[in-house]
Order: sequence, then structure tokens, then C-alpha cells
Amino acid sequence: MSALAAVMQAELFKSLRKRRTYVLAGLLWLLLPALMLLLGRLMESNLGGSFVDEAELVRTLVHELASPFGIARAGLIGPSLLSPTFYIIAIALFAGFLMGEEKSHNMWKTVLVAQPKRAAILLGKLLVTMILLGALMAGALLSGLLFGTIGTLFLDTGFSGQWGELAQLYLLQWLYAGAAVSFAFLMIFMSRNVSLGMVLVFFLPALLEGLYAIYRATVGIQPLNRLNAVFQALELQVALEGLPRYFFTANLYAPSRRPLIDLLTPLGADFAADDNPLSSLLRADLSMSHSGLVMLGYATLFLLLLAWLFTRRDID
Amino acid sequence: MSTAISALDLSKRYGRVAAVNDISFDIAEGEIVGFLGPNGAGKTTTMRMLAGLVHPSTGSCSILGRPVPGASLREVGTMIEEPSFYPYMSGRANLRHAALLHGGVSTSRIDEVLEFVGMDLASRKRVSAYSQGMRQRLGLARALLWRPKVLILDEPTNGLDPVGIAEVRQMLLAVAKQGSTVLISSHILAEIEKLVERVLVIERGNLLYSGSLGGLLRRIEEQRVAYVLEAGDFASLERAVRELGLEVERRDEQRLRVAVAVAESATLISRLSALGVQLVEARREGDNLEGAYLRLLREDGRPS
Repeated sequence: MSALAAVMQAELFKSLRKRRTYVLAGLLWLLLPALMLLLGRLMESNLGGSFVDEAELVRTLVHELASPFGIARAGLIGPSLLSPTFYIIAIALFAGFLMGEEKSHNMWKTVLVAQPKRAAILLGKLLVTMILLGALMAGALLSGLLFGTIGTLFLDTGFSGQWGELAQLYLLQWLYAGAAVSFAFLMIFMSRNVSLGMVLVFFLPALLEGLYAIYRATVGIQPLNRLNAVFQALELQVALEGLPRYFFTANLYAPSRRPLIDLLTPLGADFAADDNPLSSLLRADLSMSHSGLVMLGYATLFLLLLAWLFTRRDID
Repeated sequence: MSTAISALDLSKRYGRVAAVNDISFDIAEGEIVGFLGPNGAGKTTTMRMLAGLVHPSTGSCSILGRPVPGASLREVGTMIEEPSFYPYMSGRANLRHAALLHGGVSTSRIDEVLEFVGMDLASRKRVSAYSQGMRQRLGLARALLWRPKVLILDEPTNGLDPVGIAEVRQMLLAVAKQGSTVLISSHILAEIEKLVERVLVIERGNLLYSGSLGGLLRRIEEQRVAYVLEAGDFASLERAVRELGLEVERRDEQRLRVAVAVAESATLISRLSALGVQLVEARREGDNLEGAYLRLLREDGRPS
């Protein structure tokens, strides 16, 4: 058996003995679809027949939220909307026990003797995290289908929907999450402390992006002043102005937020308007190919740093 | 006999501090070698370098003729400092995880090592519920899991009761009998004495001695020997040894311990008799490893 396969087998064995794996799955596979069904049922029973009853509108809303397709789509969108998002919480928790536990339980000295190929250890752990995340997301899709099917027994819903496109978005979101996984591994390994590493994973990108927003709001970019004169002299001003297009969080959730844009646009939401508060959250202006390239860039950078650090660091 | 463990000009520096300073030694296949030194001497750092966990600043080491870090580490079993485990898993699950990580270890081998260290009955309990002694035993079981040709054990008897210590000693002797090479460090020098044929003594990162255990004892014995003396008239004995200018230490109300150069030891009794001391007993103290070791460290300038 190759070293990589051995590491993956061992890490999966460990992951299946970790309670948090099941808690995360329970939240995404059971709680979220159950809430969507409940929401659909409440809408149907409370709005149907009331003064707002426009039969078609209520039926459409119930279908969009609680049909098999609607719940499966919510399984993709929902985890990307909170802050920190469910995706990043899940990734940080997985990285916490797959990469951080060896430090907190003093296990590197055992792991790296049982399997001295550090590259195999790192790659195996990364792949297992991706497998766990993939299983979590695939489970969300399937449980959406299952709960939605149950919903068809008492709700006026059906199986229609763009299933192929949704599956594609799930796949893309999973691939994009690879950048977040490598970021979480890097932060946790670099900080030598699981808790600190997880805090960095949750808040560092938002902090950096927030600092940019403060800079933009206070100093400004357009007028020539001492601070941005350097950027202007280096002709980097355009790049500085366009920086938010390359922000980690803006691009990371592009696939899971896309269906929400598609859902809200027919209802009259104008994402091109600057005064729309959802514009900066959903970033409708970012194409999927742009986000894909940005995430690939981040993933490459984080992985290179991680590999360099992991293969060189002494285990004390 | 070929070399199992080799260190060549091995050094590890942390900033200006040299944890290990240019040490070289070879350990032949099948040998059991004791690694002695006070806390902070560099034992664990050396062992970590041999296990590929710490990169040497200069020099190199090899296991079974192949450089470390590298594939040769798959032939190594280690227990470095206090053994650690995933506390939420059982002892057996921890061994299974290590076995999967290494590859090529059967389930029956896990049962075998658990039985060997006497942990078969407690193996399904979570490690978080284990005592220190149980953790030591489980750590040893894990080190033996893939039938390593080389064992690197740092204080393997820490936290064990005297019966446990004796059992671990028997286990290690059995492992060595099967041809494994063992490098073992311990603070319990009496244990090392019963287990090893050769010792390495390290202090402040420098290798002070590398050779047979007997050689270490002889080296010290050649310099000083100690006698415990008892006389009918204790005051005259005390006066006489001071007159002779001997190193003296009062043992109790009737006995004194004196240390003399080996060359002077033959004439000690007659010189005391000449001073009118009537000895009831004169017993030469058997030199042991602990005494030899402590004196070796004192020679190196370490305060006793």
C-alpha cells in the first residue's frame, strides 16, 4: 500500500471516531432540511387562503423553499450565508482535528515515525478533509432530495428544478473550498495552536478585507494624498481599486451564492446598483471563471507555504 | 556485525545554544545501548534527530545504513518522552491508527503486542482513562507494533512501579534477543545497569563517554575507591583519617566513608593501624553505575 493511501486510511479511521463529524452532518443533513420543510408548511398553511393569498405566488415560494430541489439548493446556499459561514466552521473544525490535534495531543512524534514521508502525511490529511467536506455536501444534496420527497406528501411541491446545474454548483463549491482547507491547515499549523489557528481562519480574511474598507472610506483612493501617492506613482491605483474582486471571501462562496442571485433577480433585485446592500455580499459581478482562477491562486499560494513549512519544521 | 544506528558529527543549535554538539557514535545491530545524561544534556534532542523529527544543524545520522530522515525510519519504533495518544480513542484504536499509518500491520499483531505488554484486557477503554503506567505500556506496544529492527526509547520506565519496571526490562531483553537494536535512555541507572552492555554518556550536548558499561565502571574505579570504616573507638578513627588527609564523609554515629586513590587503597588499613585505630570493619564499597556516572559528570566540571 502506498504511503498516501495508508495515511488516508488512518485519517479516515480517526475522523470517524470524532463526534464533531456527526454533529456537522446532523446540522446539515437533518436540521436544515427539516427547517426548510417546516418553513414551507408554515407558509402554505398561514399564507394560503389569507388576504395575501395569491395562490400562484405562495405555491411558487413553497416550491422554491421546500421542494426537493428547493431544499437541496438551500443545502448549498444556507451554509454560505452566516458569518462565520457554516462552510468555514466545518472546514476549521475538520482542519482542527486533522492538522491541529497532532500538536495539541503531542502526536506528531508518533505520526511522523509511523509514516516518515511528510509529503504523504500532509497530502493525505488534506485529501481526507476534502473527502469529509465532499461527503458533507453530497449528503446535504441527498438529504435535500429525501426531505423534499417526504415534503411532496403534504406540500404542493414537485421534483422540477435545474438539477444538473445545482450538482455542478455543489461540485464547484467543493473545489473552491480546497483553497479554504489549505488556508485553514496553514493557519493551524503555522500558529502551533488549534484555537488560535481557528480564530485566524474565521476572522483573518474578514479583518484584512475590513481594513481595506476602512482605508478606502477614510483615506480614499482617488485623491492624491501621501498614502496613496505611492500606489499612484507605481500605477497600482487601478489594481488597488479593483482589489475587492480578488478578496478571499468574495470569491470563495461564488458557487453557493449564485443560485440566490438567480432566485432574487426575477423578484426585482438589482445587483448592479451600488445602493443594494446585497451587492457586496453576493458579488453578482464576479463570474464563475474569475472566482475559480482567484481560488486556484489562493490554493496554490497556501499549499506552497504549507508544504514548505511542514517539511522543514522541527517537531518539538 | 553491521551498524544499526550511526551519528556523525551531529549537532543541533537553537540560536547560540548548542543542544547537541558535534557528537559521533555507532551502535551495532542487536546491541542494547544505554543513553545517560542529566536533564537538558541533549539526550532527547539526539533521539529526535535519530527519529527524523528534528533536523540536525550540522552532521548526519543514519539508521541501518540509510540516511535519516528517509525510508529507514519505517524500521524504527520509538517512544520519545511521555507517550502520547488520541485521548478519545481506545488503546486498541490508537494502535490501529498507528498500524494503518505505517501499513502492513495485521490485526493479530495488535492483539499480540497488547498481550505482550499486558494491556490486552484494558485495550478497549479510552486512553483518557489510563494511568501513567498503562500509557507507558501502550506506548511500548505501539513502538513494537511493526516489529522494528531499531528501538529508540526515551525513559520507557517512567511512571512504572517496581514490578512494572522489572516487566519492561524483561520485555526489552526479549525484544533484543530477537535481534532488535535498542537505544534506551533512563534516569533509573540501576535499571540501565541490568539491561545494557554499552553506554553513551552525554552532558551539555557533548558526548563524554562511549563504550562498555564495565569500561565506564573501571575508568572510575581506577581513580578512586571508597571504604566504609567502623572502629571500636570512633573518635580515634575520625582523628586518624583526618591526619591522613582523606576525603571523609560521616555515615552515622559509628561509621565513616572514606575515598582514596586506588594506589593508596592497599596501604589504607596498615596506615590506620599504625595510627592506633582498631578497625571492627572495613568494607570496600561496590562501585555501581550511578556512582560512576555521577563522578564522570563531576569530572566534566558539573557541580555535584
